[in-house]
Amino acid sequence: MTIAEPLPSLLTERPPRWRPDISVIRTIIAKDLTAIRRSKAIVLPMLLVPGLLLVVLPAVIALFARSKTSPDLSNALSNLPSAMTKPILSLPPREQLLMLVNGYLLAPLFLIVPLMVSAVLAADAFAGEKERRTLESLLHLPVRDRDLYVAKVLVAYLPSVALSWIGFMIFAFISNVIGWPVMHRIFVPNGMWLAVIGWVAPAVAALGLGIMVRVSARADTTQEANQLGGAVIMPLILASVGQSTGLLLLDLTTVFLVGAFIWLVAFWLIRGGMKRFDRDRIASRL
Amino acid sequence: MSETFETAVRAVDLRREFPDGVAVDSLTLDVPIGSVLALLGPNGAGKTTTIRLLNGILRPHRGWSRVLGFDPATQGDELRHRTGVLTENAGLDDRLTARENLTITARLRGIGPTEASKRVDDLLDRFGMRSHADQRCQGFSTGQRRRVALARCLIGDPELVFLDEPTSGLDPAATDDVVGIIDSLARERGSTVILCTHFLGEAARVADRMAILHAGRLVLSGRPDQLAAEMFPHLEVTIELSQTLADAPATMIELANTSGVVSVASAGVDGRQLAMEVAHRDVIARVNEMLVARGFSIFGITTRTRDLSDVYHVVQQRLDPGNRGLRAAERDAADQLDRSDLVEEAA
Repeated sequence: MTIAEPLPSLLTERPPRWRPDISVIRTIIAKDLTAIRRSKAIVLPMLLVPGLLLVVLPAVIALFARSKTSPDLSNALSNLPSAMTKPILSLPPREQLLMLVNGYLLAPLFLIVPLMVSAVLAADAFAGEKERRTLESLLHLPVRDRDLYVAKVLVAYLPSVALSWIGFMIFAFISNVIGWPVMHRIFVPNGMWLAVIGWVAPAVAALGLGIMVRVSARADTTQEANQLGGAVIMPLILASVGQSTGLLLLDLTTVFLVGAFIWLVAFWLIRGGMKRFDRDRIASRL
Repeated sequence: MSETFETAVRAVDLRREFPDGVAVDSLTLDVPIGSVLALLGPNGAGKTTTIRLLNGILRPHRGWSRVLGFDPATQGDELRHRTGVLTENAGLDDRLTARENLTITARLRGIGPTEASKRVDDLLDRFGMRSHADQRCQGFSTGQRRRVALARCLIGDPELVFLDEPTSGLDPAATDDVVGIIDSLARERGSTVILCTHFLGEAARVADRMAILHAGRLVLSGRPDQLAAEMFPHLEVTIELSQTLADAPATMIELANTSGVVSVASAGVDGRQLAMEVAHRDVIARVNEMLVARGFSIFGITTRTRDLSDVYHVVQQRLDPGNRGLRAAERDAADQLDRSDLVEEAA
């Protein structure tokens, strides 16, 4: 008996337009967040770095600014272009340190938080599934590739943005409360901080995520993904810190432009990751 | 919408390559609904790739298949709603509890929260894991992990179940439980089961069909009893006697000349066993009568029905006669379990 090959349905009808299955996406996010919450290896670095940058450092600076030995920054700042230092130099000498560090210099450093958190979570979400050997059983479930991808992206992205925003609120609270005897007003957030928090930090989180999505496709373990990702992300951190310190002292327009560029790169990486996130491709590497 | 279908699985000329070689080649296979197929073969034969192809997580490079009426390559998500897969490693998230692992799978299969909770409890009960339901899987033994994974595989009430080494790492009692569950899946629920295993004894107990893969190619498939009957047309009989036959050469000659006796030889350490091959069961009665008439007391008669594991060993030996180590390991594995020998006590 000759068995004729059935006509593939793809040739006769167009594949249906993808609509996200919210229930599936929500279930995967809930599963991963529960698992992450129970993993000390992920939670500790996620809390330590923001704790150091957003709690300890601003508190120390604010306390130092309150002391009588607070340094006079006029001479140091006078060497920089006046356009950059004008808002700070116009302040009374006691306020200059607090405004310079907590008001401006910590903002680019703060970007390490969304970048690092999203990268760590993305490595766990993608390469971690392979490492724990749970990926195959997930692929055998009736979950569409795109729903799985979106869930994995969101499970890395949402906590990193949430942690950044919560961390910033704590930072602002500490800076204003401890710095009140010096400033006598709420000085954080200023316009620059709002731009960083609302526009640049989510973009940076997306960038870290996009990089790790690409890297994790080639890595078999979380450690390998972190190493590969770190090789890309670390220079970015250093460059962004160096560059954005100057940029933040310039003007908001430049900050928005830089943010837009980061968004574009992140979008390109994440969208490319979605196209490559194919069951057959993933299962071939199991 | 699924088409009307008569076979659970129909695969035609499937081929799948990887950068390091061809994993499955020219695979043509039919699996009737409600049957248990033992997919056998040494490591690297292509069993796991076959499961991945048939459940639509890998696409074939050539050929096509219909599984429960769906094309796995283009209708994988619809198909996977109706299948359950136990992967070779349990694939449980160690950071979650047994209950959470099962509940999440149920939810991802579109089962509502109330129904999911009920099914999870039922399955945990059935697999003896209720008391461990809220413990994280991290501390579970291999057997416990395998039970939870099997429960997870069945949570969607699948029409087709793929089991990749389901009893690997289980103790004999747990193995018996799992084999019983596999049997009930087909007999009571009408599910089709595709069972990949190295343990031939358990496969022989539950499988009503077998397929042997070797280097990605299907080398033999069919019903184990029919294949065994073709390969081993004669019945193997062992008779335990009261005294050795070494002193009775005339009896040996007479036995050898008895109609229906294919071969006869003295066996056992003290020569008190008679190993024979006979054409059919009636011959045993004639031999029995003749020996009693010659003054021999008979302590027992054992007949051995050839089964799936015998067929497998013969095929492997023909395919790979040099690989004695592998064959010995497979035989050892088979010997650990019930060999489904048919033992009859002599009257």
